Amino acid sequence: MRKRGCVRLITLRYRRVNVTNPYPFTMTTCAIVAGIMPNVTEGCVADAKTGVRLATRSDESDLRDLTSLAVQGDRTAIETLLGQLRPMVVRYCRARLGRVSGHYHIADDVAQEVCIAVLAALPRYRDMGRPFASFVFGIASHKVADALRSSVRSAVPTQDLPDGPDQGPGPEETVVRYIEAAHARELLSRLPENQRELIILRVVSGLSAEETGNVLGMSPGAVRVAQHRALARLRAMADMESIA
Amino acid sequence: MTAVHPARSLRKRGAETDPRVLSTDAIIDALARREATGEQDDAVVSLLRALTEDVDQRLSSVSITPST
Repeated sequence: MRKRGCVRLITLRYRRVNVTNPYPFTMTTCAIVAGIMPNVTEGCVADAKTGVRLATRSDESDLRDLTSLAVQGDRTAIETLLGQLRPMVVRYCRARLGRVSGHYHIADDVAQEVCIAVLAALPRYRDMGRPFASFVFGIASHKVADALRSSVRSAVPTQDLPDGPDQGPGPEETVVRYIEAAHARELLSRLPENQRELIILRVVSGLSAEETGNVLGMSPGAVRVAQHRALARLRAMADMESIA
Repeated sequence: MTAVHPARSLRKRGAETDPRVLSTDAIIDALARREATGEQDDAVVSLLRALTEDVDQRLSSVSITPST
């Protein structure tokens, strides 16, 4: 059970993992947080029916107000802020790190690391005119780079198997989606880094052109031109593959 | 006073309003919102859609929230 308002030890999910973890930085990471982890929905990073809503100017203004309150230590604001940011961070980490042994354990743990790092950095955050999301994705980008540097990917078995009914898509659909997603990642990995980052932020994390521009230090117009070039490059690569 | 800095080249200004760039932006926006693009997806758009579906899926059994 979650306990709010008290100091508690936050450890990541490794009590269910019984092998040496390939990511020692996450394995050893614990954070003592004064009861301010957000009470966000587990596992689900997007509602398939409602989809992902791109931010508007008023959203950005709301987020700025929320951030201001969170920096001052308002617990509700911190909870709401991280609740809003976390799904984007999870998608970003999943897209960058992919699956290990068919699961997103590692990517989700890195996302959790990002949330903890954001929490820890909040009191030092100063609004310099850039959106808070750019600060968060800056942290996320570094955490992903750390994970990629320290990774020797290996199996991550768990102690017990899931025993409930699976409400997800069937085996065939799952395999097709898995293969296509892996192919998309492989094509993205061949893009220049800035184009890859841009496509992941725009498409996977669901940021608007304005927000992506703020994260990457580009104007919205430059983002639109760059994403057009990136998509054209991806199409050319896919065409070359189909010819080969 | 103009909205666009006069030193900015016409060529660069034109690139942002190129219909192909705007069309790509509409497709990317639709993918970001997890909505249909309004036309038949090409191979790359289908792959990107598969990637978004893959990263959006609900985790089945393992909690990703911190243990207490």
